[in-house]
Amino acid sequence: MLDLVFIAFIGYVLLLGIRRPFLWVLLYVYIDILAPQRIGYGIIQELQVSLIAFAAAFGGWLLLDRKEGARFSLRQFLILLLLVYCWWTLQWSEFPEPAGTKWDWVWKALLFAIFLPLTVTTRLRIEALALTLVLAVATIVIGTGMKTVLGGGGYENLKFFVTDNSGIYESSTLATVAIALIPIIAWFTRYGTIYRPHWMVSVFAGALIFSSLLIPIGTEARTGLVCIAALGVLLLRYTKRRFVFVAAAGVMGLAALPFLPSSYYERMATLTQPGGDESASTRIAVWEWTIDYAAENPLGGGFDSYRANSFTYRMPVRSEVGNTTSVEYREVTDEARAFHSSFFELLGEQGYPGLAIWLLMHGLGVWQMERIYRKWRGNQAETTEWIAPMAAALQMASLVYLVGATFQGIAYQPVMLMMVGLQIGLNSYVMRLESADHESSAEKPLSPSEKRAERQRAAAEARAKLALP
Amino acid sequence: MRACVMIDYLSLIIGHALLAIAFLRLVMRDDLDVDPELQSYADKAEAEREAASVAGRNARRRKDAASDESAN
Repeated sequence: MLDLVFIAFIGYVLLLGIRRPFLWVLLYVYIDILAPQRIGYGIIQELQVSLIAFAAAFGGWLLLDRKEGARFSLRQFLILLLLVYCWWTLQWSEFPEPAGTKWDWVWKALLFAIFLPLTVTTRLRIEALALTLVLAVATIVIGTGMKTVLGGGGYENLKFFVTDNSGIYESSTLATVAIALIPIIAWFTRYGTIYRPHWMVSVFAGALIFSSLLIPIGTEARTGLVCIAALGVLLLRYTKRRFVFVAAAGVMGLAALPFLPSSYYERMATLTQPGGDESASTRIAVWEWTIDYAAENPLGGGFDSYRANSFTYRMPVRSEVGNTTSVEYREVTDEARAFHSSFFELLGEQGYPGLAIWLLMHGLGVWQMERIYRKWRGNQAETTEWIAPMAAALQMASLVYLVGATFQGIAYQPVMLMMVGLQIGLNSYVMRLESADHESSAEKPLSPSEKRAERQRAAAEARAKLALP
Repeated sequence: MRACVMIDYLSLIIGHALLAIAFLRLVMRDDLDVDPELQSYADKAEAEREAASVAGRNARRRKDAASDESAN
């Protein structure tokens, strides 16, 4: 039954796309995020829905789209460079089999991120892509938030639609993406045109933001809490009454405390005591190992190079006997521990060149959004007032993602690469607007007859001046 | 467990209903493919080009002459 509903929905969008092929691009975005083929359990698993949607999206763009304003930007070039570099390091990967498995999805995510901005050429397409991203993630977030409120949840216990802990269905990744999308959700309450500002839109957006904030609580993902703190700091820039904002955030935090399960306190307490938690201790050990590994392999070791690590360290292990809690230090040996950081993931897998390309790609995005925000803020025109708030929302999304990415290996996360595509689309659109505005306001060259008339007028003025005395 | 399944279905319905309505609204909007703001700049530039061209000037003179004649 569920399969039929998914197939009907995909068929419906494929049909609508005959009139507007851009919808096929949105269909791929929806499928790539939500993965309906993994939620269903029958015929939909047999269908290559992702491939069908990509073929439709690319074919529709190539054959039917106007392609007006489609340009290949510097950031797309950087993604292409990263794609080629990843393929190159794959050739000498120490672990060819797992590296090949990772390459299988990474190249698709990177290729789509290169393609996506070519299709995002109008204001409505920018909004439509942002809305599809928000609603696809919302489909997961709504359920997770409701389960948390009703008392479910817990680290690794919260049941998502898909339980294999992959992609966006990994708890920390979902928490990071959900928090990163909050500024974009807020943008829709004021500037949306598909769902125009209305009290129902505001109520839904408010509930969705609340649900997004519950994700780190429901999943007990510590990274999510760090992301919320980062978003709070970033929002201070756009808040007029900062003192009230800080006070309100504090009151809300305190009000939420009684509703949190005790396991949540225990897990969050490890944030300040990394030595007391194996996951956090391992993180630091892996990062140190990666720096040494990169010194020996500056060009990178290919995907999944972390499998080469192995280290032994001493950490406190608590044991309870009756009413007595004793702590003793034991030697723990860890092997093949994941990078637990996108920065170190890039450094270990793609070496310094790969890390530099990735940092440049994201850094350029933050800078471009800053430039757009500064240039367009305060613009009151009905058709362009949305630009600065959208740039600010996308910049915050990027920065929250980078904070979350510091503690998880999500360097090639498809949702965030789509966000990069959205940023590139906005930047190209704004550059076209600025260029058109510059051309229309620039002084026009005079025609020969106008030049002659101008000369005659100047000569007459000169004669009049001479004749005055 | 049963409540969890119900919540899953409910969130699937909400997400898909909102997406379906949004896509239907998008299909009915021409500005999905042609941006009105950019188009207004293009139209303005085209009008200016036409006005500055020889053919454009001649057309304008003919129009002015015709309006003078009709006034007389």
